[in-house]
Amino acid sequence: MERAPSRIDQDPADRVLRALAEGFPKSVSNGAKVRDGFIRARVDRGDLYEACTMLRDRQGFEHTSMISAVEYDNRFEVVYHLYSYQARLLLELITTTPKDDPSVDSVALVWGGANWHEREAFDLMGIVFKNHPKLERILLPKDTMYHPLRKDFKG
Amino acid sequence: MFKSRDFLKWSDGIMETVLRKSVVGDSIDLLTRDFFNWATRNSIYPLHFGIMCCALEMAVASAPRFDAQRFGVIYRSTPRQCDVLLVNGPVSKKLKPALRRLYDQMPEPKWVIAMGECAISGGPFWGSYSIVQGVDQFIPVDIYIPGCPARPEALIDGILKLQKVIKENKKGLLTGR
Amino acid sequence: MAEMWINMGPQHPMTHGLWNLKVKVDGETIMDAVPEVGYLHRGIEKICEDRTYTQIIPITDRLCYGSSFTWSHLYCMTVEDLMGLEVPERAEYIRVVGIEMQRIASHLMWLAAFAADLGMMAGFIYTMRDREVFIDLFQAMSGSRITYNFPRIGGVAHDLPANFERDALRACDYTEMRLREYEDIFDDSKIFRLRTEGVGLLKKEDALNLGVTGPPLRGSGVRYDIRKDTPYSVYPELDFEAKTHLGCDVFARYRVRMEEMWESCKIIRQALKKMPKGKWRVVAPRVAPEGTGVARVEDPRGEGMMYVIGNGTDKPYRLKIRSPIFVTVSAAPVMLIGYKLADVVSVMGSLDMCIGETDR
Repeated sequence: MERAPSRIDQDPADRVLRALAEGFPKSVSNGAKVRDGFIRARVDRGDLYEACTMLRDRQGFEHTSMISAVEYDNRFEVVYHLYSYQARLLLELITTTPKDDPSVDSVALVWGGANWHEREAFDLMGIVFKNHPKLERILLPKDTMYHPLRKDFKG
Repeated sequence: MFKSRDFLKWSDGIMETVLRKSVVGDSIDLLTRDFFNWATRNSIYPLHFGIMCCALEMAVASAPRFDAQRFGVIYRSTPRQCDVLLVNGPVSKKLKPALRRLYDQMPEPKWVIAMGECAISGGPFWGSYSIVQGVDQFIPVDIYIPGCPARPEALIDGILKLQKVIKENKKGLLTGR
Repeated sequence: MAEMWINMGPQHPMTHGLWNLKVKVDGETIMDAVPEVGYLHRGIEKICEDRTYTQIIPITDRLCYGSSFTWSHLYCMTVEDLMGLEVPERAEYIRVVGIEMQRIASHLMWLAAFAADLGMMAGFIYTMRDREVFIDLFQAMSGSRITYNFPRIGGVAHDLPANFERDALRACDYTEMRLREYEDIFDDSKIFRLRTEGVGLLKKEDALNLGVTGPPLRGSGVRYDIRKDTPYSVYPELDFEAKTHLGCDVFARYRVRMEEMWESCKIIRQALKKMPKGKWRVVAPRVAPEGTGVARVEDPRGEGMMYVIGNGTDKPYRLKIRSPIFVTVSAAPVMLIGYKLADVVSVMGSLDMCIGETDR
């Protein structure tokens, strides 16, 4: 017998937040709805690949809008903006890496559109994406030694 | 054995002495210098090379409103057939060797016009880590056109000034004097 | 057969802007393609960390110089999201009129370059002349021809000049008449259709996965337009449609852009009629609070997005810019493999590349 979908799941924002919190209870935190059509969550970098695969396959997030890299005093943060065409929902997913080991799993095999965004984050900020098909410099000349967007680089 | 290579070298030497280094070359130049100079300055062929916003104004300068073709300006796609290199945008460190190679590929006589603030000194991106502050750091420039972006009328004014510069430095085509 | 890599660019008449396309050809058929960008990298994101919020507006103009109003408007929207500012309604309507005029001017510029690449110089001459009509309107509005520096954080720089409404309506009438002529010239030209139909196919699943947005996505059958689906500014109150085409090839993208120009004329007419009187600017605070701001717009080339992090001073801590062409160019190899070398010009021309926003 088909069970009718519960009323909690009618709102796509709440459904996605609940799926994230239940699928990865230890890694996901700070799930919140910022405004209509925009939600935000944090995830540990160990579970990032599974979370992204789950988001693409079961929650309908087909589009990677942007992948940004931010440097703070004691950590690096990689911010993923993902968009779902069916639910018209923008999800901001933030991962943290320690300062001396800026590396994250690559999601270029989940979404092809993330490929060049990750290359650019590597080029300008120095974040290493593991299992990326071709992690090379893209905007600066190939033999550049520095990563310009770091705070300790004075151009 | 008669080799064509030797014959070419011999005839090249004869031409060199007769035309370029003797009185025959000087007198031909005296007769034709003004005519060739008039032809050169009225048929300036820039290179089809657009970097940034000033390139849009360069394209519009050949559109019907500001028509640069009435001054003899026709864009060519390969540097081997051009007189003038119009640099119209900031030159990044990745582009610098390519631009130098384009300049070297152009045959003499050649001139360079720096169009827009970015080519003159770096423009609004002055102080950035990845651009060269002004194109005259590695290429000799003849005419500077200010503006950000430079209006098409300013570009046509720059071309007319280049014509005046060419007229004042008349050189014979054979001897170079 | 001999296979070899050919370098198309950085100086090549097809490339509007500087980028390099390495194609591996076997005879005339393309086996593989690798685009290479970065010849125009100016380090804008690093420059922006050293300038105040108002000093960054002219720099964002020069991101994509083919449609510069959209980018400075996007930046102002992002900072208004960070600061929590409410923009007056007259300013929103002036911005919408500017954006739609910029969309028509940008598409006309694309059509000029596309026609010139395919060998139809008549198309180049006609469209450049018609674009001048809108450039004159922009010059009356803001003082400059292509990089305007007109939107401000909290509104626009100053009010519209006298007689602007009359001139803009005349421009819309003239453009609609010329669009009908262009459809006659381009759609009925047999060579144009031979060079564009069936070339550069991009299927719907590939387009969605590779992150392609804008006219290439709508030309593959996905009806998605940020102005309709997640509207911003005063777009909810305006009546227009998002146009798609099911062809998935170069001709479909051309049809999508032509129809977008018709819709833009409609939007300009409505916005001019509905524009209220009132203030056109709110004074913005000099120092931004700590937090983040995000905004997305429908650029003529796709989805543009900016992300700013403020830290309590008058300079941003981090500004990240998402450019639509950066992702569309990475999807170019899918559209090129299997076609002939002469089709490269049609396919890359149909993507409307503006390298300023790719390289930042």
